[in-house]
Amino acid sequence: MAEFEKVEGSKKDHELRLYAISTCGWCRKTRSFLEDNDVAYEYVYVDLLNGQDQADIVEEVSKLNPDRTFPTMVIDGDEVLIGFKEDAIKEKIL
Amino acid sequence: MSDAPGMTSGEVEKLYERLFTEAEEGGYHLNPDREMVLDLVRGLAANEERYGYMLCPCRLSGGGREADLDIICPCDYRDADLDEYDTCY
Repeated sequence: MAEFEKVEGSKKDHELRLYAISTCGWCRKTRSFLEDNDVAYEYVYVDLLNGQDQADIVEEVSKLNPDRTFPTMVIDGDEVLIGFKEDAIKEKIL
Repeated sequence: MSDAPGMTSGEVEKLYERLFTEAEEGGYHLNPDREMVLDLVRGLAANEERYGYMLCPCRLSGGGREADLDIICPCDYRDADLDEYDTCY
């Protein structure tokens, strides 16, 4: 079972899960934006996982975002945000 | 959150210039946000070192060149992304 890294923050109203790629600039921008705004979230770098862990996570991402593009973020377990969308994050989370 | 291990800033710059020229020759423009583009360039360089080809830094490898042909930069989804988002993802 792949472990998500937890990032602490004072804003914890929403449960945020970020699926990211370690080389992806948009993923980095998303992380920086959340951290600059002191939002708690958890993330995983899908490309750094191996074997079954990666296969399991890819299956999760495929259900959320069939194009399997990154970043893919899930808000409170049901709302999916694809790509770095600063305005949408502001509207839904901040 | 760094990438492209072993690449000097000069090499990143050189790759940026090459991609800039190729984009312009093809009728495309790199994003004017130079820092963001340099970040993407570092991701491309990291993937070239890792996989042997410039896999899109924001896509997941399917396990080899054959499986990844559609997501090697510039990828098959660039124009659709540009139409929808004004940038590629």
